[in-house]
Amino acid sequence: MMLKYIGNRILQIAILLVIYVAIVFFLLHAMPGGIKTLLISNPKLTPQAQEAIIRAFGLNQPLWLQFVDYMKNVFTLNLGISFSYYPTPVWNIIAERLPRTVLLFTVATLIAFFVGFASGKSLAWNRGKTTEYVSTIVGIITYTIFTPLLIFVMIWFFGSFLGIFPLNQFLNPDLWIHTRLNAQVIFLYILLTMLIIGMVMLVSYLVALRFSHRVRTRRLIFYLSTIITVVFSVFFWWVSPVGIYAADILWHMVLPVMTVTIISYAGNMLVMRDSMLETIKEDFITTARAKGLPDKVVRDKHAARTAMLPVVTNFVLSLGFVVSGGVITESLFSWPGMGMTLLDSTLAKDYPLAAGALIFTGIFVLFAHLAIDIIYAFLDPRIRY
Amino acid sequence: MKAVLEIKNLKMYYDTQAGQVKAADDISFSLYEGESMGLVGESGCGKTSVSMSIMRLLPENARIISGNIFFGGKDIVKLSNEEMNKIRWAGISMIFQAAMNSLNPVYRVGDQIIEAITTHEPDVTFEEARQRVASLYKLVGLDPERMDNYPHEYSGGMKQRAVIAMSLACNPKLIIADEPTTALDVIVQDTILRELEKIQKKLNMSMIYISHDIAVIAEVASKIAIMYAGKIVEMSDSVTIFKRPAHPYTVGLMSSFPSIRGAKKELVTIPGEPPNLLNAPDHCRFAPRCPFATDECWKKEPSYEEIEDNHFVACFHPQNLKKQVRANAG
Amino acid sequence: MTNNPNTTVEMADAKLESPALIRMKLMWRSFKENWKIFSQSKIGMIGLYIVIIFAVAGFIVYPILAATVWKTTSLNAMASYNPVTGYDFVQNNPAPPSWAHLLGTDPLGRDILAQLLYSTPREFMLGIVAALITVIIGTLIGTVAAYFGGALDTFFMRVADIVLLFPFIPFLIVISGMMQVDLLTLALIIGLLSGFGGITIVLRSQALIVKSRPFIESAKISGASDSYIIVNHIIPNVMPLSFLYMMFNVTGAIFSEAVLSFFGLLNIKMSWGLMIYTADTAGYIIGSNIWNYWWLWLPAGASITLLCGAFYFIGRGLDEVVNPRLRKR
Ligand SMILES: Nc1ncnc2c1ncn2[C@@H]1O[C@H](COP(=O)(O)OP(=O)(O)O)[C@@H](O)[C@H]1O
Ligand code: SF4
Ligand SMILES: [Mg+2]
Repeated sequence: MMLKYIGNRILQIAILLVIYVAIVFFLLHAMPGGIKTLLISNPKLTPQAQEAIIRAFGLNQPLWLQFVDYMKNVFTLNLGISFSYYPTPVWNIIAERLPRTVLLFTVATLIAFFVGFASGKSLAWNRGKTTEYVSTIVGIITYTIFTPLLIFVMIWFFGSFLGIFPLNQFLNPDLWIHTRLNAQVIFLYILLTMLIIGMVMLVSYLVALRFSHRVRTRRLIFYLSTIITVVFSVFFWWVSPVGIYAADILWHMVLPVMTVTIISYAGNMLVMRDSMLETIKEDFITTARAKGLPDKVVRDKHAARTAMLPVVTNFVLSLGFVVSGGVITESLFSWPGMGMTLLDSTLAKDYPLAAGALIFTGIFVLFAHLAIDIIYAFLDPRIRY
Repeated sequence: MKAVLEIKNLKMYYDTQAGQVKAADDISFSLYEGESMGLVGESGCGKTSVSMSIMRLLPENARIISGNIFFGGKDIVKLSNEEMNKIRWAGISMIFQAAMNSLNPVYRVGDQIIEAITTHEPDVTFEEARQRVASLYKLVGLDPERMDNYPHEYSGGMKQRAVIAMSLACNPKLIIADEPTTALDVIVQDTILRELEKIQKKLNMSMIYISHDIAVIAEVASKIAIMYAGKIVEMSDSVTIFKRPAHPYTVGLMSSFPSIRGAKKELVTIPGEPPNLLNAPDHCRFAPRCPFATDECWKKEPSYEEIEDNHFVACFHPQNLKKQVRANAG
Repeated sequence: MTNNPNTTVEMADAKLESPALIRMKLMWRSFKENWKIFSQSKIGMIGLYIVIIFAVAGFIVYPILAATVWKTTSLNAMASYNPVTGYDFVQNNPAPPSWAHLLGTDPLGRDILAQLLYSTPREFMLGIVAALITVIIGTLIGTVAAYFGGALDTFFMRVADIVLLFPFIPFLIVISGMMQVDLLTLALIIGLLSGFGGITIVLRSQALIVKSRPFIESAKISGASDSYIIVNHIIPNVMPLSFLYMMFNVTGAIFSEAVLSFFGLLNIKMSWGLMIYTADTAGYIIGSNIWNYWWLWLPAGASITLLCGAFYFIGRGLDEVVNPRLRKR
């Protein structure tokens, strides 16, 4: 049943993906003043280069043929040549930058989810206290604040006032100038480490769930294996000669992650609060209380666990919002991911790159959607069966 | 016989913006081991408020003003929440009005019962707990294999049975069943109530049945208390209540519901609105709807008195009595 | 006997007039009731006050000031002050707040307060035009999809799915880099795109509830056409929800405009976002520097935040009108 559900969702997402690419194509190519006109009027390209690009991408063909070609090209990752990085293919640029965005987004999102979840939970549980009032207001402010404004203040506060975090770029050039290491490789290793830690957490959770019925034993298995893996990987990076470079990248990541977290936690918090307030009125909460379960168990195991479902749903709906916030964040922190690429290429009138970045931003959102759908199915048994 | 539960002059009020709601006003009764009692009254007369006071699961705006609730030698009213948690389910368990929603949708039904067992008996292993749940399932007529299903995979009747099984999980001395079958169709209702009665007799537990339907209660309870507007207005064994209902409200209740067994009586509903418990008056609360009301009834509240052996009534003009204890009002 | 038909005709005449009147009265009454609920929502009222303050400032205070006080600071003393071209060369720019320029001047010597006020009506226009388009499209599609169901319904729901996930800002960035996008075009694009999005899903489910009410069936039996039923029975009943969504859409539109002009992508002469862009590209918003030139970005940024927030607040307040579950006892 679960597999069938997931299969269904994957199919739906695939269809959505095709529709999405089609929309982007028609908006970029079919409009007067679309890609072709822009291409021809681009002064940076020699007539020969223009001719080559037009031929390579069949820009003189009828529109529907172009569309078929375009679809084929997108799904074979043939996205054209970047104007501003001519002759680097668009896909190479995207392949380099996409992981950076994925990492930034995933880490920030996870933190935002847990912070929003935990604070929304305690807001609802401690209803009517001053802390509830204050945190709700702070939440609403961070939720509605104009993102660049927030970033200016963050930059000033952490970068200048406290002076603890680096502001520009994705790494510190002074450090990297003495090495021939490729930052991209280090970055991918960081990603790999995180992936391994994540997998260990997941597996140990499932193992604990399967082989023990005591909450304490389960916790022990989970935390022990997680801590061991984390310690081990930190140790590994520590002794490895490139650890310092990894640390540099991570250090540069803190501020952007913090920003995206602040942008998105409040939405989670407010939904969790409302959902929790609804849930604690439910009859099964009264039952849980009547069973003599300690308050904490009623709150966490029964109320919060059930109240979490709308938060996850809401998260799908706010994906677009968070991605937009991500674009602004990346640009202002010069974090060279998809968002910054999108903006820079647009400003440089590098349309193949801009279109590629746009398509992959969409693909990324769709995959995030799929991931959340699958997680939701695990969380809500009513969907699973 | 020993009293399992003894309530003395319990007053529980809700504070609302509009004023005080006297949902339980001077409630007293006791319940003996193995005895089953019915608490009957129209909706809104305070039955749930009484049962929630016993469980100490009151909403924030509720206050127990005075009175005692003795259970197992302790006054529940004075216990801390932690101490109370030990009594909940292990001593007193409950079958709720809305059994449909009493199960958490995200956990397996069996696990929700096991949770109750392991909370109160930490030494029980998981396997033992599962064994117990399986035998409870058999007792209430459920297939033990359904333990690992989720609530949404159960039908309404099955959920009700599961909830009953859950209430039995820790061998409580007392079970409060608050309108346990209201949401079910009549036939299922009847079977479940009878099974509940059988289980109660078999395990020799005490039981409080709460319902707005006196006919349903009379089938299963040995003693009946009639509640009206936050007060108990009549109490006796079921036979007496049925043969000689003394309070006009009880008479009205009985004629408004056709008896399941007896010949179909004419359906007479009690005229008038159910009372508003907000800022209760100081005359007989039933007076506005009572066909026998006299001036006296509008002046003061009738006291709660034993009019015959083990038959208590709060009314100036008790009905249907062979031997009239009170000659006249005074 | 002969009199009877006449009287019925007369009565019918009288009745013909009254339904409209009755409807008006009903609407007025429900408006009053809803207003009562809304006015109890603190957050909604705060939002409303902020919006009113901005509206007064932009539509009333600005024209007056531009025609009187600022007139004299303008180069051409006969014309009203124009904050787009009204350079003030007298002092070192950007100048901090002074009596001549209450919120200081920008790097080009233009009055910040005037720019702020000048942009306000434009922000309103953008937000409201975009939201109106969205709501009109969303309401039509939502009700039609709910009423007819079938393939039409499925189609629009899938479209809504994709629009819901659409990376809006990235898309608008690319579009506005390619085309010359002015304020009205932007309003059109935003309005059109979001009209097919989440709003159709919400309004459709509301319309489905309305559709199942008995009066729809009786209207059908009495021979009313589909379009008549949709326009006269279903749409009025989903109106409050449409209105609620309109508020959230105003927020979205103003926010999007601010972001795009903050990146300098829009073909407009003045807006709050552009004010920050001007300051940023001139290098006045760098690290420790930012508080030295706070008037360059804080008033504009705060205005964007406040106005966006205000419409969002009104939406939250309306939520309590539309969604009785949220109401406190
Ligand atoms: N939390 C509360 N706050 C205020 N009044 C309440 C609350 N809960 C119940 N009441 C009122 O108390 C009275 C008794 O309610 P309840 O005990 O639920 O009656 P029953 O179970 O007999 O239907 C009703 O008038 C009800 O409106
Ligand atoms: S006291 Fe009077 S009014 Fe009250 S029930 Fe008895 S007869 Fe009726
Ligand atoms: Mg009740």
